[in-house]
Amino acid sequence: MTKYVHHDLKIDPTPEEAARQAFMSSMRLYVLHDMANGMRTVYENAVEPDFKRKNRRAPKDGVEVHRALKNDTTFKFYSSMRCNVQEMVFRSILPTVERNQDALNKKAKTLSRSKKAKGSVQTDPNFEVPRSVAAIDVHLMPGNYDTEYGPDDVTQGAVYDNGISVFSMGFFGDNLDDIGSSISLFIKNRYPKFKPARILDMGCTIGHNTVPWAKTYPKAEVHAIDVGGPVVRYGNARAQSEGVSVHFHQQNAEETTFEDESFDLIFSSMFLHEVPKKGIKKVFKEARRLLKPGGLMLHMELPPNKMLGPYDQFYLDWDSYYNKEPFYKLFRDADPRAVCAEAGFAKSKFVQYIIPSLGQYGEKAVKDSVKQQTGKADDQTGRFAAGIHWYCFGAWK
Amino acid sequence: MTSASDGKKPLRYSVRGKQSQFFSAEGVDELVSITMALAQELWVVKERLAAYESLATKKKLFTQKELDGLKVTPAQRAKMDAESQAFIDRIFFVLRERVEGLAADPDEPAPPKEP
Repeated sequence: MTKYVHHDLKIDPTPEEAARQAFMSSMRLYVLHDMANGMRTVYENAVEPDFKRKNRRAPKDGVEVHRALKNDTTFKFYSSMRCNVQEMVFRSILPTVERNQDALNKKAKTLSRSKKAKGSVQTDPNFEVPRSVAAIDVHLMPGNYDTEYGPDDVTQGAVYDNGISVFSMGFFGDNLDDIGSSISLFIKNRYPKFKPARILDMGCTIGHNTVPWAKTYPKAEVHAIDVGGPVVRYGNARAQSEGVSVHFHQQNAEETTFEDESFDLIFSSMFLHEVPKKGIKKVFKEARRLLKPGGLMLHMELPPNKMLGPYDQFYLDWDSYYNKEPFYKLFRDADPRAVCAEAGFAKSKFVQYIIPSLGQYGEKAVKDSVKQQTGKADDQTGRFAAGIHWYCFGAWK
Repeated sequence: MTSASDGKKPLRYSVRGKQSQFFSAEGVDELVSITMALAQELWVVKERLAAYESLATKKKLFTQKELDGLKVTPAQRAKMDAESQAFIDRIFFVLRERVEGLAADPDEPAPPKEP
């Protein structure tokens, strides 16, 4: 099996495939840790002093840092190797998925009918996948979330699940659910009286961060939506195999079919940065429409640029330029508080949290963080390195 | 990779659209890709060799089936992961050397100017 895929849809790589996958996790660690630290050293010791000499001031933002670093050899090797690592992660798992494609589709069908859990999945053969997904291979993943290789296909769900297993280097936890697990535990402790009866996860992909909400609030009815048919089919089978009931739907978060004021909690993780600016406005308005009065909207994302210094802005914006995530920077340049207010949420109801990773710090640290919120991001926020923290923001209705 | 001749639509391995280019000299980006693929394949050989050695030590004699069926224990995996970090560092040493060069003794005499 791929290292962090343990459920019933796990697939067995050959020894050579397993070695390629393990190598890619190590290689990613080298690029994102050793090379990234090296690039910062080069910036601080050579590039920034040179910029200051020429301009009599330090770079004011990430764009200026990017421009100053762009011609440096270390930046070029870091960037070139990071692109290659990203593509090679997916290429390391594709042969395993391809060999098991028929078995995966069959298994997913069986699991979706199993009585282990009471989840469901609805896909629409006439569904129009938005251009922001249909036209690009987001984060260099061949086939993206939506490519259908046949009827009732789950292939791209398996590509994503096994891909992030290699990609995450363990930072998404043993079940790739650390974001959902950490944040749901935090919310339960931060708001002990808040007991959501209906929860919606927007842009859920394979539901790996949806399942923790269903586990944290076992009495809640949990729904999850994504524009990719293969990922919601796979997500349903994945949740069923874990014995967790989640209702998956192939729907666009910009305009859903759910009734007004029908959810108590609306969540998303690593979703908004893949949506164009116009789409984000619609998503927030839709979330407001769907929330019951007193309900909570919460989005996990990388921290906004205004919380970071120029170098960290550049570092996190890198994906927007080179990782086929073109909307990333536009989203991170926006002010989360203003985006919520624009959709009609009261400014006084805005919330934002920086939450320690449950997998890395443990339950006590997550609970303790309820009383230790400073509102300030550090260089561990959202970065794939030891000691990661998750940033989330949103508003109460 | 599945061939199209079996009637199935093969999975797409390539990423759509324009690829990023970082080096101005033609072919350098491609050379980086090829070098990384070589490094990966060399690592595959090293892992396979480790598997052979492990089995050879254990049983002195083994079959292909036994070899393919060998499961790496979590402890062995952790050891291999640590070794692969050192392996990567050896291959890309030139990049670390460049960074460390910046932290060199500031009193080091400058090299003579080119004639």
